[in-house]
Amino acid sequence: MKPRYFLKCCVAVIMATALFCSFQPSFASTPAENNEAPGRELAKQAVKGTTRWTTTDHSHHEVLKQNFTTGEEITKACLSCHSSAATQFHKTIHWTWLATGKEKDKTYGKAGDSVNTFCLSGNNMEDKGCLSCHTGWNKKGVDGEINCLKCHNSSGFNFIESFADIKSFEGDDDPDTKEMITDIQSEIKDAVSKVAFPNRANCGNCHFNGGGGDGVKHGDLDTSMTNPNKMLDVHMGTDGQNFTCTRCHTTVDHNIAGRIYTNPAVSKRESLIDDDMAPKITCVSCHSDAPHKNDTKMNDHTDVVSCQACHIPTYARVLPTQMSWDWTTAGKLKDGKPYHEDGPLGRPIYKSIKGSFTWDKNVVPEYMWFNGSLKSATVKDIIDPGQVVKVSCPVGAESDLPALIYPFKVHKGVQPYDKINKILAAPMLSGKNGYWTTFDMNDAIKNGHKTLGIPYSGEFDYVKTSYAFPITHMVAPKENVVDCIECHTRKDGRMAKISGVFIPGRDISSIINTIGLLAIFGTLGVIVLHAVGRIVTGKNGKKEA
Amino acid sequence: MIKKSFITLIVLMFTLVSISMAFASSAEGGPDGNKRKGKYTYRKVCKSCAAAGDTESATPKISPADHTMAEWKAIFEAKNFKEFGCEAHWGKLSDKAINDIYSYFYSFAKDSPTPAKCQ
Repeated sequence: MKPRYFLKCCVAVIMATALFCSFQPSFASTPAENNEAPGRELAKQAVKGTTRWTTTDHSHHEVLKQNFTTGEEITKACLSCHSSAATQFHKTIHWTWLATGKEKDKTYGKAGDSVNTFCLSGNNMEDKGCLSCHTGWNKKGVDGEINCLKCHNSSGFNFIESFADIKSFEGDDDPDTKEMITDIQSEIKDAVSKVAFPNRANCGNCHFNGGGGDGVKHGDLDTSMTNPNKMLDVHMGTDGQNFTCTRCHTTVDHNIAGRIYTNPAVSKRESLIDDDMAPKITCVSCHSDAPHKNDTKMNDHTDVVSCQACHIPTYARVLPTQMSWDWTTAGKLKDGKPYHEDGPLGRPIYKSIKGSFTWDKNVVPEYMWFNGSLKSATVKDIIDPGQVVKVSCPVGAESDLPALIYPFKVHKGVQPYDKINKILAAPMLSGKNGYWTTFDMNDAIKNGHKTLGIPYSGEFDYVKTSYAFPITHMVAPKENVVDCIECHTRKDGRMAKISGVFIPGRDISSIINTIGLLAIFGTLGVIVLHAVGRIVTGKNGKKEA
Repeated sequence: MIKKSFITLIVLMFTLVSISMAFASSAEGGPDGNKRKGKYTYRKVCKSCAAAGDTESATPKISPADHTMAEWKAIFEAKNFKEFGCEAHWGKLSDKAINDIYSYFYSFAKDSPTPAKCQ
């Protein structure tokens, strides 16, 4: 064989081999029977038994058939059988509103020194306005009795209002009123018997309405999640897996997993195969850390990118979520009275008692490194009012091994702070001395700080703040996940603010670019030179005769 | 004499101010019925409407938060209960019962401090 043809054959063999190798993973992998990704196959195994079962029907229990006149009487009836429930529950964050991870003289949690960008502080449970979400009866906080039905009743009945009505009718001999009392007691009895495992509405009553309204706090939790469809959340969709919250937020001794303050909600990413008693179910628990089909590039992302980053393309997809809260405008009156104005999304954009708000729908998250812990500000932390104060922000960096890139909702605030002591203010809002009654912020801060035992200089101003919420619900169907190009792009991509990692398509390496340019222009140069040489010598590929 | 006139003037002023305040508060405070009773009477009307087949559901379709205080005032003062669906049942209610329902709707109206939705 002539050397020229031999060379051509070699090039052809190399190209054919390269082509074969590029398809090699798909040849090597054994496709699943129904061509499903391994992560989905695993998850189906993990949730095989989705129907919860019980051995008792509470509507048959005599102790629940009495004429209750107070919530405390109902709790007493519950505890007559569930004798350890109160002892367990009293130790949980749902009761104490205090997080673990106490630091020196600071405590974290609504009943602690934590602050936020919404109603600012729980004022040590003294602000009774917040206590409608506490798991006790009648806003008595930890001094009261547990309200078991807050989590364990499926009726949606308003017990507190009904008991208040009965009390107000006491001593009224009007036959109509007596009939009303009988009706209410019958309704109460009927509702009490509907004891159940916590459903989405039970949790959502507080967690969908945190911050004072629907979708105010979280971007991925609002009342659209009470009965979502699969398009909104593939796990919780009523037309799909129909998960309740407790399917993932698993519970031990009434401690419900998942809350993050300083301590991470999850300390290890492991599948249920590694540990089927994992305290909290995460994506990896059921889907593993290599959930995609073997022939895809996606599995190479899972050591850097969280599942949520791709599988939750936007949050607040059905209902709007609040994006900012500006306290500086609070206190305006119309005709001497407080008022509120609704915006184009049907949500309030101004309230005299709270200030101005902005809302948005279908929001693209911000992305940050996150190792599972959040850094939360307290009323005892010294702030720099010249900068945006991060009231809550994720902890983690690329160098921090367990950290991954996570999606976040970042709520922007403008809120009061003590000008002299340089601390965020915790004004008392509700009650007769609260801001919502007096519209006197100075006095409200003075009263609020008394409840927390912290000083107040008497001078306040406003500071810009931010509060980051991890986005982990509203997981979209696979056909709606974030497209590769949305991150791997030069300008304005989703990963534009992520540092510490090379993202092909977004980042430039000057060395690689130089080598590439040299290769292209070098090849072109050689071709041109070769062609010119042939033309000049007049040979044009022909041998001399 | 001066002293007597001064005291009379003070008493007169006090009386006038008290009367005007009393009227002002009743005008501002809306109807004076029993809002709690109003809530149950309204529910009862809805139940009887549904039982008679005049409405599809016993769950009230109209809630206090559906209108402002001024709008409820106009509706109840005109006794225009068309929106509620079953006018025949409303016609059987006493003035006191209607005033109780009015108080309930007014107290929990859209622009009240605590707008309410019926469940």
